[in-house]
Amino acid sequence: MSEVILKGLKKVYDNKVTAVHDVNLQIADKEFIVLVGPSGCGKSTTLRMVAGLEEISDGELYIDNRLVNDVAPKDRDIAMVFQNYALYPHMTVYDNLAFALKLRKTPKADIDKKVREVAEILDITQYLERKPKALSGGQRQRVAIGRAMVRDPKVFLMDEPLSNLDAKLRNQMRAEIIKLRSRINTTFMYVTHDQTEAMTLGDRIVIMKDGYVNQIGTPQEVFNRPVNLFVAGFIGMPVMNFFDNCRLLKENGKYLAEIRGVKFLLSDFQQKALTQNRAEPCEIVAGIRPQHVTVGEGELSAKIEVSEMMGSEYNIHARCGTDEVVMLIPTIDLTADVSMGKTVTFTTKPSLIQLFDKESGHNLIWYDEESAANDAPVCKTYTF
Amino acid sequence: MVLAAKKDSGTSRTDLPQGPVFQNKKLKAFKENAPFLIMIFPAVLVVFLFNYLPIYGVLIAFQDFMPGDKILSDTTIWVGFDNFKRFFSDPQFWPLMKNTFLICIYGFIIGFPLPILVSLMLNSLKGKKTAKFLQTIFTAPHFISLVVLVGMLTLFFGRYGLVNNLVASGGGERYSYFLETGAFRPLYILSSNWQDFGWSAVIYIAALSNVDPQQHEAAILDGATRFQRVIHVDLPAIMPMISVMLIMSIGGLMGVGYEKALLMQTDGNLAVSELVSTYVYKRGLTGVPDQAYATAIGLFNSIINVVLLIIANTTSKKFSENSLW
Amino acid sequence: MKKRKNALRDTLGDKIFYIINGFFLLLLALIILYPLYFIIIASISDPDAVLGGEVVLYPVRVTLEGFQKIMERSDVWRGYLNTIIYTALTVVLALAVTVPAGWALSRKTLPGKKLFMIYFIIPMFFGGGLIPFYNVMSSLGLINTMWAVILPAILSVWNLFMTKTFFESSIPNGLIEAAKIDGAGQFRIFTSVVIPLSKAVIAVMALYYAVGQWNSYFNAMIFLQDESKYPLQLVLKEILIASESTVGGSGETILQQFRMANLLKYVSVIVSSLPVLCLYPFVQKYFAQGVMIGSLKE
Repeated sequence: MSEVILKGLKKVYDNKVTAVHDVNLQIADKEFIVLVGPSGCGKSTTLRMVAGLEEISDGELYIDNRLVNDVAPKDRDIAMVFQNYALYPHMTVYDNLAFALKLRKTPKADIDKKVREVAEILDITQYLERKPKALSGGQRQRVAIGRAMVRDPKVFLMDEPLSNLDAKLRNQMRAEIIKLRSRINTTFMYVTHDQTEAMTLGDRIVIMKDGYVNQIGTPQEVFNRPVNLFVAGFIGMPVMNFFDNCRLLKENGKYLAEIRGVKFLLSDFQQKALTQNRAEPCEIVAGIRPQHVTVGEGELSAKIEVSEMMGSEYNIHARCGTDEVVMLIPTIDLTADVSMGKTVTFTTKPSLIQLFDKESGHNLIWYDEESAANDAPVCKTYTF
Repeated sequence: MVLAAKKDSGTSRTDLPQGPVFQNKKLKAFKENAPFLIMIFPAVLVVFLFNYLPIYGVLIAFQDFMPGDKILSDTTIWVGFDNFKRFFSDPQFWPLMKNTFLICIYGFIIGFPLPILVSLMLNSLKGKKTAKFLQTIFTAPHFISLVVLVGMLTLFFGRYGLVNNLVASGGGERYSYFLETGAFRPLYILSSNWQDFGWSAVIYIAALSNVDPQQHEAAILDGATRFQRVIHVDLPAIMPMISVMLIMSIGGLMGVGYEKALLMQTDGNLAVSELVSTYVYKRGLTGVPDQAYATAIGLFNSIINVVLLIIANTTSKKFSENSLW
Repeated sequence: MKKRKNALRDTLGDKIFYIINGFFLLLLALIILYPLYFIIIASISDPDAVLGGEVVLYPVRVTLEGFQKIMERSDVWRGYLNTIIYTALTVVLALAVTVPAGWALSRKTLPGKKLFMIYFIIPMFFGGGLIPFYNVMSSLGLINTMWAVILPAILSVWNLFMTKTFFESSIPNGLIEAAKIDGAGQFRIFTSVVIPLSKAVIAVMALYYAVGQWNSYFNAMIFLQDESKYPLQLVLKEILIASESTVGGSGETILQQFRMANLLKYVSVIVSSLPVLCLYPFVQKYFAQGVMIGSLKE
């Protein structure tokens, strides 16, 4: 068991700047958790606190049920892959991999066995005698991962390991990490600013902003039920369309969303969530994902400004009043004329509309099963 | 696991008492970093012995001190500023100040712009390999010792040096420039520059190599000639460095050392070659030493230097963004 | 097409600029090189030819007499040996003092870092002066020992700050953190990671300290009394600067001695400067050596 628990973890720098506020996170054994957020959100700092590279200002950190706040990095039983690889340039690949084991006074034969085993897995056996500068970016990346692997750590920490690779290599390495994971079979904490990486790699995703955790959930959860405007805008490509000055209405005991004068009767699930959250009619920001827009029907209309044919789909930038609307329309479903300058009608399924409180920015239909079971108003438990 | 993001409650925990935990953390951080103290210790010791102990020894400037006396004891005779007053009324005072100042100011006037000029010229060369090669040649004399340098000066300008050999072979009189008061400063300054202009240029050359080539390309497209690019691209790039070097030079305006001047001194040129520093050496360590007096003179000189440095730095801070501190 | 080519060519003004620039640089190079060249040709020429002003561009009546004579000068070789010993000891001790201190000073976590910085900066701008320095050496009992020449030279604050700057800019923090996670302690990090990556700065520091000690004469002059302890520079000083009036004897001997003394000057300049000037280009390659390339990307 190598469970990692972050309890009220906090980082305050000497200059009184708080980089991380009160992070609570329980990472299950063998879980792959991804910390994601824009730069400066505190994700790297959180990871470095787990690694022991940053002093923990407040809170408790448990690895495998052991309080490790004051334990040196080397004794935490963790390994880390750095953004810049941080390979020792003066050592061969072999020595890079063996260094940590040597420091632990592992017998030579065992070191050799382990290093070769890992090199085999990562397919870098033929480079063992080379120095890092003689390797390509992808190969260096493998060595960096290998260096962490040889130690059989309880927790595998990765700090933006793919951000220095070009797009093609990044996709390739991402796939390799997924494959690797099944072989290493340990707990992973992975930091990235790239939401695609987060979605594809993580069992659960932790979305951070300005030092606060905004949402923790599976990729599906954070995509379907973003907790607030920030998460909604951060997760998903292209970015979700937001419509300002919309309203949440209640007619005959049913909630309706009014977008640009068009009323949408919300689905049962949304009704339930809104009831649960005791939502009152109010001004809202409505969110619709570009993938969820249907063109050529409905009562909303927009003028197309840019229309990009992407092969299997059209990527359309249109103007609907003051809002810019991005639509991703599969060519196969297309019936309307979507050339530039044309005005088209569009709509979406009411169940796919996200409703954000205009004041607080949080999602009125964010729905927490646990609270729902207890019949507690979810919205009241968090304020941003 | 409910949402953890509570903006309002996020700050409340700092108010918690942190006493024992805090101290523990400090102790832990200290333990982890204690090896650095061991690594720095030898350097601290060396500086203490050879830099700070002499600063303490400066106290003898205010004493009636005989070699062998303890710096602080019951029998110490304090004389206040007597030694300084003696120096001000020393007939040597004005000649010393003048000699020291003149050799520094002439040295500065030639020695300060020359490396800047050379670095700009080297940077303007088309062949970068040629520039590198020339730079290697220009820096080489820096590694010649002062004894050899002054020796070479005698081999060129001494009574039996090259210049006199040529004059003599043409039927002229041999004439030692080393015995001549008028030749001391030019020889001193020109030889110093010969030795060090290349070395001093290195710092500017390094700064110039950091200039973005695109700036030059943009200037070319704007129609700038090579010379205009030197003035409008290269020179501004090394301006901050020039300011810093200027401050340092002004701080050293009275700080000329004794090592080279002592080697070049002859009875003939003593009227111009006796500097504050060489005078300190002679009064303090040769003949019948008057250490307290010599120390007072030395202290007076280094205080002038510190004051000059502070003035230069403050002025520079006021008029530009560049300063040493 | 033709016009385009012209646009890439230098204008007349630029051509003139390049020519003038090249001319002056060439002139400077000659000014640097000629004195060195003259010393060489004079050292292998007949002393009479040198004194007669015949030796200007090439050696005249080549002779190796001077080099033979200097081989017989036991004081020169003893000075040489002393200088080699002093220089070697200085370099070893200086590196042992400067490099660890530079590393410690470059660490943000060094306890009392600010105080240490001030401690090292003050001596850069203010010192006790010659006499108190002499008295300190005297009370430390170092007078007339080789340690009087070596110990004060084992730390230059300039070099210390240079080393510190190198460490700050050239040793990536990630590498140190990686070593920490790999389980290395502070000393281990220093010996296994920092030093192997700092060959360039260590070489440069060794060069600076070595050249400094090799070329210095003043401390030896005031602290050493036994001629057997004199370093090369002090012996040279006798040969080069103070020897013109030391000739005794009569008639032919005087002339002979005078000829020899003069020749010896040229020869001794070469013999003493050669090692340093040869070492310089050899060590220069370390300046540019990018050890870090390949291990990191920005």
